[in-house]
Amino acid sequence: MSNELLVLIVLLVTFAAGVFVLKLPSGVALALSALLGAIAGGEGIPIRHLVEGSIAFLDPILIVFTAMVFMKVVNATGALASINFAIITRMHKYPTLLIILMVFFIMFPGMLTGISSTCILTTGALVAPALLAMGMPIPAVGALLAMSAVFGMIAPPINLPVMIIGGGVDMPYIGFEKPLILATFPAAIITALYFRIRYLRKFDIAQVLAKLPPTVLPKYGYKMFIPILFVIGMMIATRVLAKYIPDIGIPLIFLIGALLGFGTGEKFKLDKMIKEALHDSLPILAILVGVGMFVQIMTLTGVRGFIATSLLDLPQGLLYPAIAIIMPAFGSAFTASSVFGVPLVYAFLGTNEIVVTSALTLIAGVGDLMPPPLLLPIFAGQIVGEKNNFTILKYCAVPIILTLTIGVLMIMYAREIGAFL
Amino acid sequence: MKRHVLVAIFLLLSVVTLTGIASADFLRMYTADIVHPSDAATKKSSLSEYCPSLKGTSADTPVYYFDSKRPGATVLVLGGTHPNEAAGFMAALLLTENITVDSGKFIIIPQACGSGFTCTDPLEGLPDFYTIKTTNGTRKFRFGSRVSNPLDQWPDPLVYMHYPSGQSLSGFETRNLNRSYPGRIDGNFSEQAGYAILELIKKEHVDVAFDLHEAAPEIPIINAIITHERCKDIGASAILELELNSLTYALEISPKNFHGLSHREWGDSSSVQPFLMETSNPIQGRLRGKTNAELVTGGVDKFYAQAVKSAKFRITYDSANGYPLKVRVARHIAGIQAILTAYNETFPDKKIYFSNIPSYDDINTKGIGNFLK
Ligand SMILES: [Zn+2]
Repeated sequence: MSNELLVLIVLLVTFAAGVFVLKLPSGVALALSALLGAIAGGEGIPIRHLVEGSIAFLDPILIVFTAMVFMKVVNATGALASINFAIITRMHKYPTLLIILMVFFIMFPGMLTGISSTCILTTGALVAPALLAMGMPIPAVGALLAMSAVFGMIAPPINLPVMIIGGGVDMPYIGFEKPLILATFPAAIITALYFRIRYLRKFDIAQVLAKLPPTVLPKYGYKMFIPILFVIGMMIATRVLAKYIPDIGIPLIFLIGALLGFGTGEKFKLDKMIKEALHDSLPILAILVGVGMFVQIMTLTGVRGFIATSLLDLPQGLLYPAIAIIMPAFGSAFTASSVFGVPLVYAFLGTNEIVVTSALTLIAGVGDLMPPPLLLPIFAGQIVGEKNNFTILKYCAVPIILTLTIGVLMIMYAREIGAFL
Repeated sequence: MKRHVLVAIFLLLSVVTLTGIASADFLRMYTADIVHPSDAATKKSSLSEYCPSLKGTSADTPVYYFDSKRPGATVLVLGGTHPNEAAGFMAALLLTENITVDSGKFIIIPQACGSGFTCTDPLEGLPDFYTIKTTNGTRKFRFGSRVSNPLDQWPDPLVYMHYPSGQSLSGFETRNLNRSYPGRIDGNFSEQAGYAILELIKKEHVDVAFDLHEAAPEIPIINAIITHERCKDIGASAILELELNSLTYALEISPKNFHGLSHREWGDSSSVQPFLMETSNPIQGRLRGKTNAELVTGGVDKFYAQAVKSAKFRITYDSANGYPLKVRVARHIAGIQAILTAYNETFPDKKIYFSNIPSYDDINTKGIGNFLK
C-alpha cells in the first residue's frame, strides 16, 4: 500500500470517528483528522501548515457571518413575513408557475455573487416560509433551497469555479453564458417541477394564511424593504455598473443592509441579532476552518495528487462516473474545481473546453451539498428548521442524479454542444 | 468559575500559543534574500524609483543595473514575477551574480513580485524555504506565493476587472502581477507594481525584456517562448538556434484578447520586445505528491512519472530524471542567450554583448550552486 493511500485512510477514519464516535462538531473533527493525517504522512505537527489552511477560507467565513446577521435583522423587522404574505396572496392560484419562479428567485443572489450560501441566506430565506405554509414537507423545502443554491452558484453571469479553473489553465472568462445556461436552467426547471409534483399537495389558502405570521406591511409601508432592496441592488450595481460603483465587498454590503434595518419595521437589538447570527453560523464557520486545514494537509502529504492521478489513470469509460462521484465527494465546489477541474480540462482537450469547464463546475457544484461539510444542507436546515441535515440531502437525491447526468452528458457531447451553441 | 468559562480560557490560550508559533514562522519570510551582484553592477535601486507610492512596501523590490557605458541595447530581465516559480528567480539571480556586460546595458529584477515572496499560497502545502549548496556554503532562499501577500492587498473582489480592458478574471488574480499590466499609478497594490515595471521599461528605454516563469507540467505552453506579434521573427530564429543545441521550444504568440500579461501589455504600451519563457515545474502541478523543498530543487515526483505513462494528454515531465531546478534555470539562460543573439542579428547597430554566463551544459553538469557566490 502506498504511503498516500495510508494517509488518506487515516484522514477519513479519524474524521468519521470524530463525528460518529466522539460526537465532535464536523469542523473540530476535520481539524483533528488533518493533525493525525499530517503525523501519518511523516510531517510531524506542521503548525505553519495547519494555521495557513485554517485561514484559507477567511473571505467566505466573513460572507456567511454577515449574511446571517442581515437575515436575522430582516426577520426581526417583519420584512420576511410580509414578503411571504404578499407572495402567497398573489400567486396561490398558480402553484406550478410559483414554484418555478421561486427557484429562479432563490438562484438570483448566487448568479450575481457566485456564492451558493448567499442564495439560501437571502432569497431562499424569503420564500421558505411560504413553501412551508403551503404544506410542503420541511426537508423538501430545505432540499429545494439547497438545489437552487447550487444552480444559482453555477448559472451566469458570475461563476467563480469557472474562474478558478480558468486561472489554472489561462482561459479568460469569455463565452460561458450559453453553456452555463444550458447546464443550469433546464435542471432548475425540472427540479422545480419535481418538487411541485412530488411534494406540493392541494392546499386551502385560508388555512395557509392563518398559519403564516401576519403581515406588518400596512403598519410600516414599503420602507420595510429598504434593507433587502439595498443588498440586492448593490449586488446588481457592483456588477452592472462596475465602472462607477466600487465593489465594497459582499460582507460590507450585508452589514450596511443590516444597519439600514433600523426604523424600517419592528424594533430589534443589534447586539442580540449579532449574537444569534454567530450562534447559528458557528458550526459552519468551524467547518470552513477545518476544511482548509484538511485540504492543506492533503496537499502537503501528497494525498491530493494521489487522488487526482488515480482519477486520470482510469479508462475513459470509467472516467465519467468517477468524475461524477469523486468531484462532489470533495465537499466543496471551489476546492473540487481547483484540484480536479484543471487537469480534467486538459484530459478533455480538443473537444470544447468552454463546455467541458461549464459542465465540470456543475458537477463540482454538487459538492457544496455533500458531507463532510454538508454546507448547503446545514444552511437550509437552519432556515427551514430541520435538525437532521442528512434528511435534506436525501430529499436532494433525485435532483442530484439529474444534475450529475446533465454534467456528464455535457462533457461527453461537448464538441457537438459547442458547435450548436 | 463555571466550566464553560474555563474551557473558553483554555481554548483562547491554545489559539494564542499556536498562532504565536505560526507567526514566528510566517515572519521569517519577511527577511530579504541575500543577493551578491557581480562586479559589473553600476547601480542598485528599487521599484519605488518608478512609482514612489511603493516606497517602503514589500513590493519595493531591488533593481540591479549593469551599464557597460558603451552603445547597445538595454535589456530587462524579470525573475520572480511568480515567486512560486523558483527557476525564474534563480535564473535572474544567476545572471545578477555573474554577468559582465561588454556593450549595452542590463537591468535585472530578481524578485519582481516582492510582496509574493513574503508568504505562501494557502491550501497548497508549500515549503517556505529551499536551500542550494554553493562553493561557500549553503544558501537559503524564500519560496513564495503566486500572487501578492493578502496582508498587502485585501480583500480580493469576487471578480477582478482588469484595467483598462475591463476583462473579467477570478478575484484571486487581482493580486497577480502578471495580470496587472499596464497597471496604474493610483491603482491597487499590484497595479502599482505593474505600473512601476512598465514605467521602468519606458524611462530606461528598454529594448528587450524577459519575464521568466514556470508552469505546471500539465500546462500546454511549457518549454515555450511567448512573445508579442511584433517580435515573432526574433522568437522564431532563437528557437532555430536552440534546436541546433537540441533544446526544443515552442513559439507562442500572445493572444490579442487576453489582457494584463507582460507579453501583451508591455508590447502594446511601449516599443520593447517582450519575451516570456516557461519551464516545467512539478511543484506547481495538481498531480504532484508530497510537497516539500526537495520537490522545488530536485523536481522529481512519482505521480508525474505515472501520469506521463497513463494520461491521455500532454504532460511535460522527464520520467527518468524529473525536472530539477538546474535544468529549468539552464533552459532560461539558454533562451535568453539565443533570443539576444537573434536580436543582435536583427538590430546590428544596437548590439548587446555580455559574458561570464555559464552555458546550458555547464549549469547542468556543475549545478547552480557552482555559479552562486
Ligand atoms: Zn508564472
